[in-house]
Amino acid sequence: MGYEISLLTFMGISIIGSLSLNLITGFCGQVSLGHVAFVGIGAYTASILTKADTTFFVALLAGMLLAGTFGVMVGLASLRVRHDFLAITTMGVNFVFLGVVREQEWLGGELGISSIPDPGFGKLGFLALVLGCVILVALLSLQIRRSWMGYVFEAVSGDEDTARMLGLDVSRYKLIAFALGTALAGLSGGLYAHHVRFIFPDSFAFVESITLLAMVVIGGNGSILGVIVASALLSVLPQWFQFIGDYKLLLYGSLLFVVMRFSPGGLAGLAQNLFPKSKKSFVPKENQ
Amino acid sequence: MLYLELFLQGLLQGSIYALVAVGLTLVYGLLRILHVAHAGLYTLGGYFAVLVFNSTGSLMLSGIVAMFGVGILGVIIYRLCYEAILDQPPYVPLIASIGLFIAMEELYRILFGSYGVSYTNPPLQQMLPLGGLYLREGEWVTILVSIILIGGLAWLSSRTRLGLAWRATVTDPQMAESFGIDPIRVRYLNFFIGSALAGTAGMIVGILNNLVEPTMGSVPSYKALAIIVLGGLGSVRGTLVAALALGVVESFGTIYLGNVLNRDAIAFVFLILVLMVRPQGMFRGV
Amino acid sequence: MKLKNILSLIPALFMFFGIAWAETVKVGFNVPLTGFAAADGESALNGAKLAVNQANANGGINGKQIELVIYDDQASPKEAVPIANRLIEKDGVKVAVSGSYSGSTRAAAGVFQAAGIPYISAYAIHPGITRAGKYVFRTSFMGEVQGRAGALLIGQTMQLKRVVVITLKNDFGKSLAAGFKAEAANFGIDIINEYEYSIRDRQFGPIVAKVRADKPDAIYASGYFFTAGPLVNQLRSGGVTVPVIGQEGYDSEQFIKIAGAASEGVIITTSLDRDSNSPETRSFITEYEKFTGNKVDMVAASGHTALNVVITALRKAGTSNPEAIRNSIAQTQLTAATGHISFNGLGEVRKNVQVQIVRNGDWHYHSEIRDQKLLAPPES
Repeated sequence: MGYEISLLTFMGISIIGSLSLNLITGFCGQVSLGHVAFVGIGAYTASILTKADTTFFVALLAGMLLAGTFGVMVGLASLRVRHDFLAITTMGVNFVFLGVVREQEWLGGELGISSIPDPGFGKLGFLALVLGCVILVALLSLQIRRSWMGYVFEAVSGDEDTARMLGLDVSRYKLIAFALGTALAGLSGGLYAHHVRFIFPDSFAFVESITLLAMVVIGGNGSILGVIVASALLSVLPQWFQFIGDYKLLLYGSLLFVVMRFSPGGLAGLAQNLFPKSKKSFVPKENQ
Repeated sequence: MLYLELFLQGLLQGSIYALVAVGLTLVYGLLRILHVAHAGLYTLGGYFAVLVFNSTGSLMLSGIVAMFGVGILGVIIYRLCYEAILDQPPYVPLIASIGLFIAMEELYRILFGSYGVSYTNPPLQQMLPLGGLYLREGEWVTILVSIILIGGLAWLSSRTRLGLAWRATVTDPQMAESFGIDPIRVRYLNFFIGSALAGTAGMIVGILNNLVEPTMGSVPSYKALAIIVLGGLGSVRGTLVAALALGVVESFGTIYLGNVLNRDAIAFVFLILVLMVRPQGMFRGV
Repeated sequence: MKLKNILSLIPALFMFFGIAWAETVKVGFNVPLTGFAAADGESALNGAKLAVNQANANGGINGKQIELVIYDDQASPKEAVPIANRLIEKDGVKVAVSGSYSGSTRAAAGVFQAAGIPYISAYAIHPGITRAGKYVFRTSFMGEVQGRAGALLIGQTMQLKRVVVITLKNDFGKSLAAGFKAEAANFGIDIINEYEYSIRDRQFGPIVAKVRADKPDAIYASGYFFTAGPLVNQLRSGGVTVPVIGQEGYDSEQFIKIAGAASEGVIITTSLDRDSNSPETRSFITEYEKFTGNKVDMVAASGHTALNVVITALRKAGTSNPEAIRNSIAQTQLTAATGHISFNGLGEVRKNVQVQIVRNGDWHYHSEIRDQKLLAPPES
């Protein structure tokens, strides 16, 4: 069962990561191309702490806090720049994070951090923890969407200037979105670090940010269920496609392209088209 | 002397960046798309050039195939990929482009091998010291070609009717159309020119390094994005200045800041600093 | 015995031999086949496959054929961990080899160690790999060991003193530089300057200009063929004529192809001596070229050596007990394509350093470094 357990654990960690990005990009419409930097902050923080004999849960929390704090700083940038500019700035954040980590020996430098302590839950226990977190994050997302905060997010995502004119405190809510989204990314990172028990800069390369964004967008930007399904599929796709061997990445790239080209609403949009009479709104209004 | 050389090296790197980034900013200015797959066309230019040169020995022919072949493919990509999704939120063409880029890189690896292709008889490798400055023939040619091409573009855009039509469409598409300018033709031209420039850059880099690899577009793919934002999205002049500035900053940064930050991070720190001061980029774009 | 009873044994005998025939000995192999590391993956896989083919042609392991169970890990830790689990559980391998890079190997090593399955890193150099535990071994030099050898080579063998160090910014380059710097003073080397570059860089104009101004006696540059090739080419075009000393990252035909005439005289520390008279090395070189149509490179030789260590251990210890296989590996005394192989307490390889030089467009013997005290890898 070890194989299936490790696959499911990775799946869960990916889902948490993409749901966290969904808060920022899907709900609040702020495109972030550097999200994995926050996953990394959570991972590095938690690892350094557990290696210094801190309790696992405390370390995890610390990782989330630090990630969220940096997230707010980047969120401040989102008040200055928008849309494509913001996308590129967040991409820059990813590279600066990598650049700093690579050079600092106390962060492991190029060698990263090895022999991260086992939290001691056993493989099944850790999987249960991860799945528990997935459920919590999903519920949190649902709750946010139904709440006043969700309403403001959607307004900001739709038309920021109009939202401001309506008297909504756009700046405050953007920062909240970043804080929440990045903190949860930190959670995903801390869990990842204690599952693989080895992290190094390449684990948080720019291509991973793209992967997270792809999961959100293919799921259907904003759709919780869509994002969960897309992350689950995309995270284990390479393992399933082992038999395709040489053509695996080609298929992955083509898949991204084809979905965006022919079904820009992602999986959620596809579901919407197939079941138009369904009561559940899979897709946020702007994509219809 | 050393500082002058470092500066010149920076300009050299900057002009290669410029050739790639100009195409990207042309596309953005017109269509608001971040055309990441552009970097895949850059790589293709490198492949076209090395394959043609290795079988014919003619640099001229390689150049023509690299420029025009890639230019045409750029237009095809516009037709097949972007035209249908222009009205979607901006992340749709972005992800589509990224997917296309990944697929292109893998295709190159599958078709041309993972080790990369080198010139069997590499041209322009000889050193040509001019005025005490040590650059190879290929490097002098790069600077020359960049000046000619981008200068040519500037001339085209400001002195010809074609250029006028292009600038009008970028500024106000509806007005331009009402004056009889065909927006589709302008888009084709846009993609053709931008892609041809990228293909040329790919060819140049392939010659300078004597290596064309499937993943050689990875770095330009995100760096060019940083450059066009720095320059002010849509501004060709801004892109040019940003590209050259970045080249110079990297050149000095590699030597003097090398153990503080790596090259890519230097570029992005530069970007973030500029954007915090001037959120619209160095020049006012479109 | 009645004839009926004897005849009834025949189907049982067929079944017995049939099973023995059909049964293979599975050796796990994770390797990057797609993505940025595909070139090295291809070489490592070919080296490994050749070793398996050669062994199978010689009767396999006590009659059973060896089967290489191959998975593409894209050089990613995220992929390597499930693959390791899959190899152990689904494919039931009792021993595995990594043909992949440091990140994925380090991640997988933890899984194999926890499951008590011996795992050999063919060429990934991250120091943490063998520290995962006693089941993990490495058949290639640690970066710092090779770095020390470089210091001896430049300072003592070549008697050059003023050196500029150009370092690739990754675990390989950094550990090489660390080893070099640690021993430099002992061999009278004065490091005038160090410059760093990242794995995606191909244009070294600024570094070349600065090195020319530094006027060193020699350059110690780390990298792989796709960075070292352009670097050396640009150094020579830039008017820098002093010797360039590299390491096994250069060790490939591709380096010579890319650097062209500039590759003449480049010296590297490595494990493969192309002029060797040892039958193991000669046969590897000839058969590899026949098998793949390509010339040999360091990564292929590493894959080949690692598999040979496994095969030898399997022959000695049998194929079913991982602990016994592990102990057999630990006691290896094998002459492979890359020289005489044995392991220290940590699982790090002990072998001589070969020094090769490019002459007339090919790699040739330059010298050998046998100082086992200098080359001793850490014990923990």
